[in-house]
Amino acid sequence: MATRSSPVSSASSIEISLLDRILDRWQKINSNYVVRTIIQALITVWAVITFTFFLIRLMPGNPIQVYVAQLMNAESITYEEAYGRAAAQFRFDFNASPVEQYFDYLGNLLRLDLGDSIISVGTPVISQIMRFLPWTLFSAGLGLLVSFVTGFVLGMLMAYYRNSPLDHILSFISSLMSAVPNYIWGLMIMVVFGVQLQWFSVGDLRGTYDPRLTPAFTPEFIFDIFKHALLPVITYVLGTVGSWMLSTKSSTVSVLGEDYVNVAEARGLSERRILTAYVGRNAALPLFTLLAISIGFVIGGSVLIESLFVYNGLGNFLFQSITGRDYTSMQGVFLFITFSVVLSNLLADLLYARLDPRIRVSGEK
Amino acid sequence: MNDEIVLKVEDLSVIYNSSRGPVRATSNVSFELRKGEALALIGESGSGKTTLSLALIRMLAKSAEINAGKVLYTRDGKTRNILDMNDGEMRAFRWNDCAMVFQGAQNAFNPVLRIRDQFLDTARAHGRNDKEWLRQRTLELFKLVRLDPQRVFDSYPHELSGGMRQRTLLALGVLLDPQIVILDEPTTALDILTQRAIIDVLNEMQTRLNFSIIFISHDLALAAEMADRVATMYAGEIVEIGGVNQIFYEPLHPYTLGLLRSVPKLSHGQDELVSITGNPPNLIDPPSGCKFHPRCQFASEKCSREAPPLTEYDAGHQSACWHVDKVIEARKDLYKKKVTES
Repeated sequence: MATRSSPVSSASSIEISLLDRILDRWQKINSNYVVRTIIQALITVWAVITFTFFLIRLMPGNPIQVYVAQLMNAESITYEEAYGRAAAQFRFDFNASPVEQYFDYLGNLLRLDLGDSIISVGTPVISQIMRFLPWTLFSAGLGLLVSFVTGFVLGMLMAYYRNSPLDHILSFISSLMSAVPNYIWGLMIMVVFGVQLQWFSVGDLRGTYDPRLTPAFTPEFIFDIFKHALLPVITYVLGTVGSWMLSTKSSTVSVLGEDYVNVAEARGLSERRILTAYVGRNAALPLFTLLAISIGFVIGGSVLIESLFVYNGLGNFLFQSITGRDYTSMQGVFLFITFSVVLSNLLADLLYARLDPRIRVSGEK
Repeated sequence: MNDEIVLKVEDLSVIYNSSRGPVRATSNVSFELRKGEALALIGESGSGKTTLSLALIRMLAKSAEINAGKVLYTRDGKTRNILDMNDGEMRAFRWNDCAMVFQGAQNAFNPVLRIRDQFLDTARAHGRNDKEWLRQRTLELFKLVRLDPQRVFDSYPHELSGGMRQRTLLALGVLLDPQIVILDEPTTALDILTQRAIIDVLNEMQTRLNFSIIFISHDLALAAEMADRVATMYAGEIVEIGGVNQIFYEPLHPYTLGLLRSVPKLSHGQDELVSITGNPPNLIDPPSGCKFHPRCQFASEKCSREAPPLTEYDAGHQSACWHVDKVIEARKDLYKKKVTES
């Protein structure tokens, strides 16, 4: 790199050599796979935050204007009063210049201050999110885990016994299942088992736990939590297990055709060792990426299911915010969803690097 | 080399069940393999070489069926029929007694495990859990195949070049001191210098470790260099078998002669290249009599009626042909130019 500075005059060559040093340092940082991936994620997050800022504030007919108009209509107050209330709730000083506003906004975000909820006046949005998030993570996370493990096992079975009756039956079922959206499954469960067959009482299973119980680490309470999460979890599993099965099957079939599996057999390795370390591990590589990415869609995907079963998670909260035109809450949840998607992509990249030595090394070179 | 026989194949036949009917991939193959000897199987693609070698370690595709024959394996005075072994015995037999280095070894290693772990896997599968022994043994073998021992030991497969991977696989092949190593096209997909190096390494290893080799190749020059004995396969049958000099200088089968004529030689002119006319036969519905007769220049009416048996003409030199005399007549011009030059 230093050779580039030769044709220019000495004064600017000092500058260039400084630039070179910075570039050089940057190259070194950039060559580390983990650091590079994290930096990319941070840039994405920053871009999203900035984009959201301009979207909400500078668009004509933006949510703040709408909210101000609503306030003026509902409470017959002046424009200034309404604007002042809106500014306070959105954490937004309308006297400041756009640049100042932007940095205020960034500063607030860094302090995790997303403004106050409009429906529940005086409650910060972040505390609402924190209240509902664990339930969504629990139910949708459990659903994802159960679905992934089941789908992976069945998919490998299909690949091992491909073209057998078992494979044909499972292929048919999994194609059918992955074609039906999860809210249809939810409605079917509700209507068939709840209303028609009366296997459970729809009303009793609402919410995340029985309000008569006090939250504590008692077996009774834990059992109740699982009981309430059961229907959403089953719905998530039914909605996604089919596509896990199909992806696992195709991935496993291609690994089974690899030379190293044949050679492993010729080496006399036990079937179990071949299944786990040779077939399973290589077949799982692309699936782990898919898994990590789908973690990001847990919150977004929970909106319909949670509102269907009235399960008090973040999805239901978002649904309530949308119907109640709670713009600050919506903005907060949307930002949160974006972060979780970026974060899970980051996780996918780092995980893949941990699992596949080929990625790790090519990044270091 | 001594006369101890480690592998005796008797009348081995393999059939692939295809949708268009059974494919007789090898039929009635018989041969013996002595200790420390290198036997080359030569022939066109589809002549049954790979099927034969896969049958020896019973790694044939699910659609294949060994419908006749015996494969008798002898170690330490004990003889067993490989085809009678149960799954556990078979697993123990593979690699410990007979290792196979496959065609296209580029992907022979699991990409997510280090080389040392794959060596460890192999040793453990055969009840050798001593890590220190494994390390010593592996590093020693890496030296023998001219690899940088410690570096390769700790590498992932993708960090090695094609030639290095091939040598690593050879080292892995002899890790457990097998009696037989099957090499299926061990040097295809490698450049000429790497091929040379692999062959040198193989020769050295064989001298040091004294295992027997079954060498599958359609590269006749390599076969000539590696082998002590050569078997020519055509349409799933061994049509000629003999010592390496007998096969290359005094072939007794028209197909072997045709193969030799179709190889360019540096010392000869281009005009000598003659290809074998026609196509390899359809093994679902093979020709009657001698399977080579539709392509054979010496074929007579008898050839299409009756299949010639493998008959011994010289010591240890057998051929399945009704017209050996014509082949002897025809082979005179095979190395004519070479003779006049020297």
